[in-house]
Amino acid sequence: MIAIAQQKERPAIEISDLHKSYGNVQAVKDITMNIAHGEIFGFLGPNGAGKTTTIRCMLDLIRPTAGSIRILGYDAQRERQQVHRQIGYLPGDVRLPGDMTGKQVISYFADLQGLEPVRLKELVARFDVELKGLLKSYSKGMRQKIGIVLAFMCNPALLILDEPTSGLDPLMQKTFNEFLLEERARGKTIFMSSHIMSDVEKVCQRVAVIRNGQLVAVEAVEALREKAGQRVTVEFGDPVATEELARIPGIRNVTCADGTYHFTISGSMDALIKALSRHEVRRLLAEEAPLEEVFLKFYEEQPAKLAPELSR
Amino acid sequence: MVTPSVPSTLPPLPAPKKRRRGVPIAIRALINAKTLLGAGVFYALFVALVVGLLYPTMTKLNLDAYLTSTGVASLVGAKLTHASSFAAIIGLELYGAFYGLIFGSIIGYIAGAALPATIENGTLDLALARPISRTRYYSELWLSALFASVLTSLATMFAVWLSTLVVKNAQIDWTWLTITQLIEFAFFVFAVGVGLLFGSCMNSSRGAGGAAVGIIFLGYVMNALGSLTNKLNWLLKIEPYYYTPGVQALVQHNFTYWHPWVLIGVGLLCALCGMIIFNRRDLPMA
Repeated sequence: MIAIAQQKERPAIEISDLHKSYGNVQAVKDITMNIAHGEIFGFLGPNGAGKTTTIRCMLDLIRPTAGSIRILGYDAQRERQQVHRQIGYLPGDVRLPGDMTGKQVISYFADLQGLEPVRLKELVARFDVELKGLLKSYSKGMRQKIGIVLAFMCNPALLILDEPTSGLDPLMQKTFNEFLLEERARGKTIFMSSHIMSDVEKVCQRVAVIRNGQLVAVEAVEALREKAGQRVTVEFGDPVATEELARIPGIRNVTCADGTYHFTISGSMDALIKALSRHEVRRLLAEEAPLEEVFLKFYEEQPAKLAPELSR
Repeated sequence: MVTPSVPSTLPPLPAPKKRRRGVPIAIRALINAKTLLGAGVFYALFVALVVGLLYPTMTKLNLDAYLTSTGVASLVGAKLTHASSFAAIIGLELYGAFYGLIFGSIIGYIAGAALPATIENGTLDLALARPISRTRYYSELWLSALFASVLTSLATMFAVWLSTLVVKNAQIDWTWLTITQLIEFAFFVFAVGVGLLFGSCMNSSRGAGGAAVGIIFLGYVMNALGSLTNKLNWLLKIEPYYYTPGVQALVQHNFTYWHPWVLIGVGLLCALCGMIIFNRRDLPMA
């Protein structure tokens, strides 16, 4: 009991100073992050940034050059069996033997897990999974759904998902995102890498962004949302100078087309409302700016340049 | 942005019951090897039946001088003093160096391809993300290759028994046939070890299986050259066929008892080296 309590006190995933090199090439360097129990954590980065390498180190499929990884209180390398009893894994590219049926592959991996697939019926129904045909006849989307079933079927406490919605149609992506939120409500911890920023935005509490093998940010999604601000569109009935709007605190990226102004505002809108009240406003539209822009900045710019701008 | 409405807390689901694990990796590997195993069994049946059918004609032709010649000895890897009995003919045709070359290659290929095939079909990542140690995974593949060897051995003995139904007075000593088969099994242990060693460090099933077959074929060439002349006799000591005196056991009812143990030792050593390599290496993505 004490051991379980101690496990719960520690973060679900602790990665410290993780380095992985292949000869002279450093795939990941100096990765340090903690993921709390019951959190959905997004791991973002462009292709080749080191997301999959980090995940494979977590699963002990590849061995770190330096650093340590603890999952659910256990060392991911030395106590891998204890770790793997409690996790579900979905690889980035779900490849399965073509000569097996969906049912056979599920039975095979349940045997390897040593646990009954208690959630099989629920998952098959929810994701509309085909189990009878040979896997070689399955589409990429159907293979991905089988991968999802394999990851969740034994009801693991922690999920490691590498681009889980890859290959799923938009409707199924929505179903999957709802499913993830339900899993979180059941107390599961989910670590997921993704390219699809809108998915991450919908389900994750925190995100880490990796670029060229290095972490460039670990932030709460809410904090990023505040930084992203709101997109505002204003149509004036009288002439307004662009400079007048640009001078309002928190406003950036002011553009004007045919008397309609577009800009982004971060923080309080009080100063904006007061400034607008001095003019004739025909139309006012304010909406949350997509986080995609913030993420893309992380992808594109050097970490050193990013820090001051994003800490505004 | 549309956020799906999901309750903030839901009751946890009951923990799943434990499930008997068995040896699913070994069974899967055997299923993957079914085509090659089938080919081996077919070859054994085919050769044994053809020899059985041709034996009466062969005895009439009086091929003793030819079958006991140095040329044939270098080809089949066994020098006999007489070759007129059915045991001698079946020994030369089935249990000579050809047995190691053909069946050993099949078993070596199966063992070599077993591990890389799971890298290629993507099941290795998914399997090792479950509470299965690399040692267990490798051991089950080893077990499956050894089981394939047992199946091949039994099929060969069955084929010989079938051929004795065709031949009158076959006069096969079943005890010595079993010993012969056990000697050949030692060759299989060697082939399995070599195959697993290549499989543990290569990512291509064809590459690893082919490399194992290459070693077995190289051994055959060394055996053939070493048997031709005394100057190349030393080659025999470093190739596996020298340590597989199956024909000698079947026909002359004697053999150097420690020879098969050399193959078993080398096979086990190779397999253990493969296990260490597999345990230490980074696994590639499919």
